[in-house]
Amino acid sequence: MKYYEYDTDDMIAALATPWGESALAVIRTSGDGCIEALSPCFRGKDNLSGSDGYSLHFGRIIDPGTGNTVDQVVAGVYRKPKSYTGQDMVEIFCHGSMPGITGILDALRNTGFRDAAPGEFTLRAFLNGKMDLTGAEAVNEIIRAKSPQAMGLALERLSGSVFNSINSIKALVSGILAEIELQLDYAEDEADPEAVLSTGKIETAISGLKELASTYRIGKVIQEGVRAVLTGRTNAGKSSLFNLLNRAERAIVSEYHGTTRDYIESLLVISGIPVKLYDTAGIRVSDHPVEAEGIKKSGEIIEASDIIIYLVDGCDGLTAEDRKRIDLFDRKKLIKVWNKSDISTKEIPEDYIAVSSLTGSGLDDLEKEIVSRAGAENIMLDDRAVIDSQRQKTLIDSALLSLENSLSAIRGSMPLDVVAVDIKEALDSLGEITGEITTADILDLMFSRFCVGK
Amino acid sequence: MDFDAIVIGGGHAGIEAGLALARLSYRTLFITQNVDTIGKLSCNPAVGGLSKGNIVREVDALGGEMANLIDSTMIQFRMLNKSRGPAVQAPRAQADKFAYNQLAKWTLERQDNLQLFQDTVTDFILNSRGNKIEGVITERGRRFTANAVVLTTGTFLEGMIFIGDYTSVSGRIGEPAALGLGVNLRKMGFSVGRLKTGTPARVRKGSLDFSKMERQDGDGEIIPFSFSRDNVERPQLPCHITYTNEKTHQVIRDNIGRSPLFGGKISGKGPRYCPSIEDKVVRFPDKLRHQVFVEPEGLESEEMYLNGISSSLPEDVQEAFLKTLPGLEKVEVIRPGYAVEYDFIDPRQLKPYLMTKKIEGLFVAGQTNGTSGYEEAACQGLMAGINASLYLAGRGPFVLGRTEAYTGVLIDDLVTLGTEEPYRMFTSRAEHRLSLRHDTADRRLMPKSKEIGLLRNEAWEKFQEKLSRTDEVRELLRQRRVTESEIKTVDGALYTVLKKHIGKTYEQTIKDPDVTIETFRDFDDVIDRTSKEWLSLVELDIKYEGYIDRQERQVKRFEKMEKMKIPENFNYDTVDGISTESRQKFKAVMPATIGQATRISGVRNSDIAVLMIYLGRKK
Ligand SMILES: Cc1cc2nc3c(=O)[nH]c(=O)nc-3n(C[C@H](O)[C@H](O)[C@H](O)COP(=O)(O)OP(=O)(O)OC[C@H]3O[C@@H](n4cnc5c(N)ncnc54)[C@H](O)[C@@H]3O)c2cc1C
Ligand SMILES: Nc1nc2c(ncn2[C@@H]2O[C@H](COP(=O)(O)OP(=O)(O)OP(=O)(O)O)[C@@H](O)[C@H]2O)c(=O)[nH]1
Ligand SMILES: [Mg+2]
Repeated sequence: MKYYEYDTDDMIAALATPWGESALAVIRTSGDGCIEALSPCFRGKDNLSGSDGYSLHFGRIIDPGTGNTVDQVVAGVYRKPKSYTGQDMVEIFCHGSMPGITGILDALRNTGFRDAAPGEFTLRAFLNGKMDLTGAEAVNEIIRAKSPQAMGLALERLSGSVFNSINSIKALVSGILAEIELQLDYAEDEADPEAVLSTGKIETAISGLKELASTYRIGKVIQEGVRAVLTGRTNAGKSSLFNLLNRAERAIVSEYHGTTRDYIESLLVISGIPVKLYDTAGIRVSDHPVEAEGIKKSGEIIEASDIIIYLVDGCDGLTAEDRKRIDLFDRKKLIKVWNKSDISTKEIPEDYIAVSSLTGSGLDDLEKEIVSRAGAENIMLDDRAVIDSQRQKTLIDSALLSLENSLSAIRGSMPLDVVAVDIKEALDSLGEITGEITTADILDLMFSRFCVGK
Repeated sequence: MDFDAIVIGGGHAGIEAGLALARLSYRTLFITQNVDTIGKLSCNPAVGGLSKGNIVREVDALGGEMANLIDSTMIQFRMLNKSRGPAVQAPRAQADKFAYNQLAKWTLERQDNLQLFQDTVTDFILNSRGNKIEGVITERGRRFTANAVVLTTGTFLEGMIFIGDYTSVSGRIGEPAALGLGVNLRKMGFSVGRLKTGTPARVRKGSLDFSKMERQDGDGEIIPFSFSRDNVERPQLPCHITYTNEKTHQVIRDNIGRSPLFGGKISGKGPRYCPSIEDKVVRFPDKLRHQVFVEPEGLESEEMYLNGISSSLPEDVQEAFLKTLPGLEKVEVIRPGYAVEYDFIDPRQLKPYLMTKKIEGLFVAGQTNGTSGYEEAACQGLMAGINASLYLAGRGPFVLGRTEAYTGVLIDDLVTLGTEEPYRMFTSRAEHRLSLRHDTADRRLMPKSKEIGLLRNEAWEKFQEKLSRTDEVRELLRQRRVTESEIKTVDGALYTVLKKHIGKTYEQTIKDPDVTIETFRDFDDVIDRTSKEWLSLVELDIKYEGYIDRQERQVKRFEKMEKMKIPENFNYDTVDGISTESRQKFKAVMPATIGQATRISGVRNSDIAVLMIYLGRKK
């Protein structure tokens, strides 16, 4: 996206909620004079043009060309600079019906609004000093967020918890650099003897960063979804369970073994967690080349999955074949399901979740288990900062590497001017996330914390 | 025109400016208030130190005089920071300040094309449009015309000194301030501010008991500041160290109300890095003692300088607290400590070649630009002198980059950031510090000075010899490999270290922190015939190569921004979304590039981003 192609204060409008049928949709507008411009299209008790910022108005949107009512809406008015973009804004809450939405957008176009480009509202917010780059990234991710939890996380970062934890580590590292610089800038006999470099502080910074880095996987799961795969012998009922979890007939079900030959995937949201679910070809020895290819492909998907749901056919019970396969999987990823519990006569082992893909019994238990394996329960419970952008993760990793290098340089008795290169590097990486630390900042620290100078 | 150029002020900036102009064959008038005080070391009797020592060597490499002055008059030499890394080592020397001042004066007197004249400049002569310099007017009413003027007034411009309640209109104690010029600069529309600095008492050597102090000797080995010298033979005197204590601090605390600083009489801002003793006691109440260095002022003088304890408290208080120091119980004060407040010109009004933006042909250097320190003054004086000569010749300006010299960093900082306290150089200010070692100043700068025409031939020839020898050694280290047979004679621990490197080149081997280049002396004749200093240069180049690469990569991240130019008369009011503080700062500095904009203190990242987006859009 080239920022500079935009004019930054003309009137723009766009649907802010996803395209499609839903109970409610929001259309956002922003730009100089947009409240006044919208006023003639709006019929209600209040006149929009004189209204205060932060006020809501019930009324109808009229197409200025035809004079027909398009939809019943609530209009939210924001006056600059107190709005998301920092400009005058009107948000129109309308019914989530396609004809209604397109009707309103047409009416806006007829009134002089142009369609906003992707990210343009955020760009304006950024240009008007409403958020820093960390914020702008988060907003982008809110827009792309696939589930409410993900949205919560993105918002969380907007409110600055990543910002805060990185900043506190950055403060620590700046302090370390100030101590080093002090020793480099004042002769041995002149420097404040209290300014001795302690590796302890570097270690603290390292563990803080490690903790932050470890949240990345969780953050990523929330953002991109966990990968879960259904596997088991042919005819165990994988496709039936796939359809049940999707609440839709997506996969072909039949009593023939080997029905599913190529995998199918779908994206579903289970208690707020996006899950990418795969139905795969059942496992058996096959000399049919297409099926064999499908089975090979299943292996690859299993390999890449975060959660493996293994189905045992409750009619047959646990076969030697099942045992052999189950042993191959990573315990932490594995969920064992006893399917066809409705007709199963066998005793169901304790570590299995009994499910019937036909009746839907046991579905709740299975979904709970999936959520808990996704690690998301933890996230929902505490309010740690979670990083979920690849860029932040990369920068944190490189800061970590630099700090670890500095430690080994110190232990290897390398001179301080060289250690300073590592620390400076770490600080630059952190600075790229939340804002640069300047030389002046380091000198300030030096002089405020230590008594130096002849 | 009476002269080609006029230099105002006989301090460390003026000396370099005057000599550079005269050596480049411009007829130069050198006006100073008192020719006997030329090159006086106003404060501590020492030259060099961390990053400052590097500057002295840069001045030498550029054809300046300071290195020669200190080499000829030093009374103690030390290489600082030996334990903290070769890249930040720097030479420092105690000076015989009387000899220094004497030699400075004599050097000027002997210089062709340079005319010394004792008077005080009070006003400028400008062209009719008021935008070009044409000369100066003095206190005694003399008028001299010239096309270029270099202003280096130090602490004298509307100077005022303070000792407790006592004040006097002086630039240094006992020397009258230069009055009139500050007022006239303001009238001409310059933004002029006040800064403050201080100096400690000088005391009589015979009244001190050195047995109660720690003795600090210089290094046995002296490395000359000047690249033109092979060695320095000078008598070496020791310094001594004593400490303040709770009693000292009590005396100061009891009398803090009588301090002109804390009493609010002084409005100018003092340096945080070199605080007065009263500052230290107030700001760091938890520190139980502060170090005091007792330094000789000269071979033929009984005056001793008390470094670390500058003060502007009343004289009776100064004497009382001095007497609480071990070894100073019977101290006799010859000159009291004092603070001085003076005018400085906001250096953001200068172009990067030190000419004022407002008045063509007027150059400003030294403490007048808000710096403090002899070395900082000298390098600016030299750059101002060189640029005044280029201006007279109608040639393009000479500007050093931040990658090339501390001098470049200093001037860029000044004209970009301005300063709120007396500006002193620190290695931390130089993001390329690993490349700015003191021993590479010749390599970095001599070719430039040669081109300008300021470098003496002997210096150039010696440099050529050094280059070819060090290149030869470097090539040899690349070619030769460590063999079993040659290390046989090496003893014990070193043998074990070297054994690991058999088959590797000498160069690779030297990267091992446990190996030094000196090890190879015995293995090769050319290496053996090379001086220790030159070998160490090659060694550091090798050892630091990897780190310099990394440092350069760090710097590159920001270099892109350096390339993004901002139009000269850019109107910041047309950019929406920049915070008010940043807008004001941009307007004050009028940065030439986005890179320069990022270095302005307190400017927000998001404002830089907005500026970048805006400038991009304009294209
Ligand atoms: C009390 C005191 C404390 C100091 N403390 C420190 C310190 O703690 N640390 C540090 O690094 N440095 C300190 N210094 C500063 C150091 O002395 C200066 O940085 C350095 O000397 C500046 O060199 P300069 O050439 O700019 O000016 P100066 O050395 O001050 O020389 C200026 C010269 O110009 C002459 N002059 C001025 N105006 C006129 C005029 N109008 N006409 C003719 N001649 C004029 C003066 O007579 C003087 O000879 C201190 C100086 C003083 C006086
Ligand atoms: N009674 C009962 N029948 C089930 C249940 N689950 C699946 N079946 C039946 O079992 C047969 C196989 O179901 P599928 O879902 O096609 O099995 P699959 O594992 O996908 O088989 P392949 O694709 O061939 O590997 C179908 O006839 C389903 O109706 C269940 O829970 N109860
Ligand atoms: Mg199937």
